[in-house]
Parts: sequence; C-alpha cells; structure tokens
Amino acid sequence: MSSLKTRIAKLELETPLLTASGTFGFGDEYASLMNLEGLGGLVVKTITLLPRSGNPPPRLVETPAGMLNAIGLQNPGLQHFLEKELPLLQNLHIPLILSIAGETEEEYAALAEALEGCTGIAALELNLSCPNVKKGGILFGTDIVLLGSLVEKVRAHWTGTLIAKLTPNVTDVVHLAHAAARGGADVIAAINTIRGMVIDITKRRPLLGNRFGGLSGPAVRPVAVKIVYDLYEAIKLPIIGMGGIMNTNDALQFIMAGASAVAVGTGNFVEPRTIPQITAGLKEYMEKSGIKDLHELVGAAHES
Amino acid sequence: MKQCQALVQEINEVSSYFYCLTLEEPYLAQTAQPGQFLHLRVGNGIAPLLRRPFSVAGTSPATGTIRLLFRRVGAGTELLSCLRKGDWLDCLGPLGTPFSAVGKDPAVLLAGGAGVAPLLFLGESMLNAGKNVHLFYGAADAKALLPVDRFLSPGVLIHFATEDGSVGEHGNLSDVFKLALDKGLAPGELFACGPLPLLRVLANENRRWVLPMQVSLEENMACGVGACQGCAVLIKKDGETLYKRVCREGPVFNSSEVVW
Repeated sequence: MSSLKTRIAKLELETPLLTASGTFGFGDEYASLMNLEGLGGLVVKTITLLPRSGNPPPRLVETPAGMLNAIGLQNPGLQHFLEKELPLLQNLHIPLILSIAGETEEEYAALAEALEGCTGIAALELNLSCPNVKKGGILFGTDIVLLGSLVEKVRAHWTGTLIAKLTPNVTDVVHLAHAAARGGADVIAAINTIRGMVIDITKRRPLLGNRFGGLSGPAVRPVAVKIVYDLYEAIKLPIIGMGGIMNTNDALQFIMAGASAVAVGTGNFVEPRTIPQITAGLKEYMEKSGIKDLHELVGAAHES
Repeated sequence: MKQCQALVQEINEVSSYFYCLTLEEPYLAQTAQPGQFLHLRVGNGIAPLLRRPFSVAGTSPATGTIRLLFRRVGAGTELLSCLRKGDWLDCLGPLGTPFSAVGKDPAVLLAGGAGVAPLLFLGESMLNAGKNVHLFYGAADAKALLPVDRFLSPGVLIHFATEDGSVGEHGNLSDVFKLALDKGLAPGELFACGPLPLLRVLANENRRWVLPMQVSLEENMACGVGACQGCAVLIKKDGETLYKRVCREGPVFNSSEVVW
C-alpha cells in the first residue's frame, strides 16, 4: 500500500492535496459537491482584522489558459470568522489552515495573537502577496526587510505552524524565502498569482475594476514549477507548491520539483472534484511505480 | 445543487446565432426554478478554461429535460454549439436564487436580446400558476429575434419591439413598454433581464412607476457556487452598500436594491 501521508513542518497531512486560499471559500460552498474530509487540508480564504468589502467589479476575467482576479480580499473579518465560520470548520476532521492578511505589521500580529490557542487551527498562512490590495500585502511580500520583520512579529504571537506564501512578483523569490525563514517561518508556499492586466478595447480602459489583477491557472504553471524547483535547492523548509494544477501529472511536477504538499486553486472552479481526482491519481501512480512513500517523490527531479 | 452529467437530447439553431439546447437530466429538470442557472463545462481542455453560466429557459419535469437558449458569441458558446445529440455535458446546478412572484396580476416580463431565456421559464411557470403574463421582447431587428412563441404556451401575451421596426413595434424595448403603459396597461409586477443599459433605463423609469421589479444580472463568473467572490455586484440595503454574489444571492435581485 502506497502512503500519501506527508509532513509540512509540524503538520501531518493524510494527503498532500490542499485547497488554495480564496478559491474554496470557507469550504461550505463545496460541501454538497464532495467529501471535504478527503482533502489533505483546507486553506480557507484570507481573513483580515476588520471586514473588507473588496474591489469594484468586474473582478475577474478569463485569459488564455488562465484567469485574472482582483477580488480585493473581500471577507467578513476576524470576529465574524471566529463566531460564525470557525465552529463549523472545527467539525471537519481535516487540518484547517487559516490565511491572514493585514495592512500593517500590527494587524498581522493582532490576528496571530487572537488566533493563538483557538482549537482547530492547524497552521497560519501569511498572505504576503495578494496583488489586489492597494496598500499592505504587496509591500511585505516584495521587500526582504519588511518581510523578515513581519514574519518575526507574527512568530512572536503564534506557536503553531507558520506558512509564508510568497509572491512571484519579485526579481528572485529565493531571497524572500530566506528572509521568511530567518523570520521564523516553518513552511514556504509558492506561488501566489502573477500580476497582469487586460484592456477592454471597446472602452479603451483596463477591464478589471481594480485595473490589474492576479493571473492564475495553467498559464502560470511553468513559472510556478521553476520557482518551487529553485526554492527546493536553496532552502531547507518544506514547500507547498501551487500554480495551475489541474490534474495528477501537474501535481507530480510540483512534487518532483520539491513540494511536500500541493494546492489546487483555479482548478476547483473548472472541476470541483479536482482534488479528489488527483488524490486517487497520485495513489494509482505510486502503486504502479512501486513507490511506498510520497517522500520518495519529493524533489525527485533534482540530481542527488 | 449537484454536479451532473446531462445527455444532449437535441440542439438546433433556432434563429441566426441562437441555439436551443435540450438536456436530459431528471434531477435538474425537477429542481430548477425560473431565474436559476447551470454552470457548464463547455470543453475538456484549458481554453476556454472556466465554466460558463446559462440561465434555464425551461424544464419538462415529466420527461426529465431542461432547456437552455444561448447566443453563439465567443469561444465557449462556439464549443457548446458544436454539441450533438448523444453527447454528455458536465453541469453544476441548479444554481442561484430564483425569481419570486409577489403575486400581483398581471406580471410583465421585459426581455432584451438573449436575456429572454430566464423570462421564458418564468412566464411559462406563472401561466401554469394561473397568472396573466405579458412578455415585452426587444431586439435590434427581425433576424436577432428568437421565435419565442415556440417556447411558450398560448396565453402569454407577447409584444415584440425591434429597433428597425421590422417586427412588432418600432423602437427600443423601454419606449415600447412605456407606450403600452400610456395605453392603459397596469402591471402588478415587473421582471427584467437583458443588457445592462436596458436594465438601467428600466430601473430608472421604475422610480416613477414604483412597481415591484426584479432583475436578473450578469457578471463574469469563476466558481459559480459562491466561493470565489468573483461575480460581485454592488447592492444597497438598509442604508449601507455591500457587494453580493450574482451566483449566490443573485442572479435575481430586487431592482431597487441594485446600485445602478
């Protein structure tokens, strides 16, 4: 029997398949379409200290083999999450990873402090890179000093697994990963979306309400695989790989590049059962290839 | 709501660029309500990538079939138009919040172009509920008009409007409807679907008419089930404005609550 079990820092996962933040809501929308307990872990949409109303529409547009989105972190805020969403999520018997964002270091720290000790939160993921927010996130994810300092501040309030989700919108993601590691992150997640724009030629204006957005889907996959490959060579931290994963072969590319776990985002929109399908596909691949432990595949694309 | 594999029972071009697609899927046929939509996977590849939402244009619960009407305008509808009898189509549905009849007679349906699809379903269901129904249906010219009488039982009073006057009244839909009001038509409630500029005009006029009015809105959509927050529209309620999801709280909204 092949085992899909994997480990990202202190976090034990039954399978390496996670949802990408912002693509699966708080899980309830997909509950009638699949067994959520088959997920390796649920990464819920980013929450902020206070509610956010989000960006003006249009918020998304399809692009060749991908999509651009500029949602603007619409979310009901920490208090609503703790009162209304968390109790439901606690009933699921899968690790819950909470994505957080703020406009200042203090906001991130306050979120970490409020969430420390809450039952049922397996890890925090720092959204450092959402390119849709005019202030905040973008700065932290693209500046080594700001990023290191932010991770350190959150680390001081959060004893559980801490994931730094990196933006690809920098010259070299590896430098940022080092900064996150020095600040005390346990896991690196890569990649967040790549900034892009579509012009509406009839209106002669950018199509999205926010003017630009984040590109995701199969179009970004080779970029993401390369970044995961580079991170695996450069840092010791476990990696959650993501970017355009639609099927088992895509997930295998990320695992072989060095990801200990992978996340599906845009793929969920196309086929809500992408994660269960990949879970079954990975198992079949491993059994056919005589691989007993997923870790034999992690980083397999690197020459030893 | 479920993910279903629906069997294509029939597909034909009913007027230029307009297709009628009949799917066999008993669950969808029995549960879909007027105003709701299906989110279709139009291809198997990655271009086009996302599913496409289509309003349900009618159902036959007894035969387990559900009908969609769509205009071939882009890559997604192009693929859809190539379906043949016997093909399978991956559907999520029924999705969204349906129209809700307040109950005052007669009901007036205001349809612009392809926006007629959900109103055909609504008209048929209201007729079956014993209501008096008028359909005002506008398009640019005769060629762009769907043969709507084919999709409605006799009893719905159909008023055509074309901008070139080739069929029905000459003029745009809102003007033709206004004329009917002047001639004494007294609607109990309004239901509208069509291009945004038309809906804006109607919503604006309705500040004078002060009739209960529901509109079915469109927005670019990704997940279709409420998870991604992509299909937001600005809504005002109880003195505050907030974004609501076309796929979940919509596509049907109370016209007076939409920030036009």
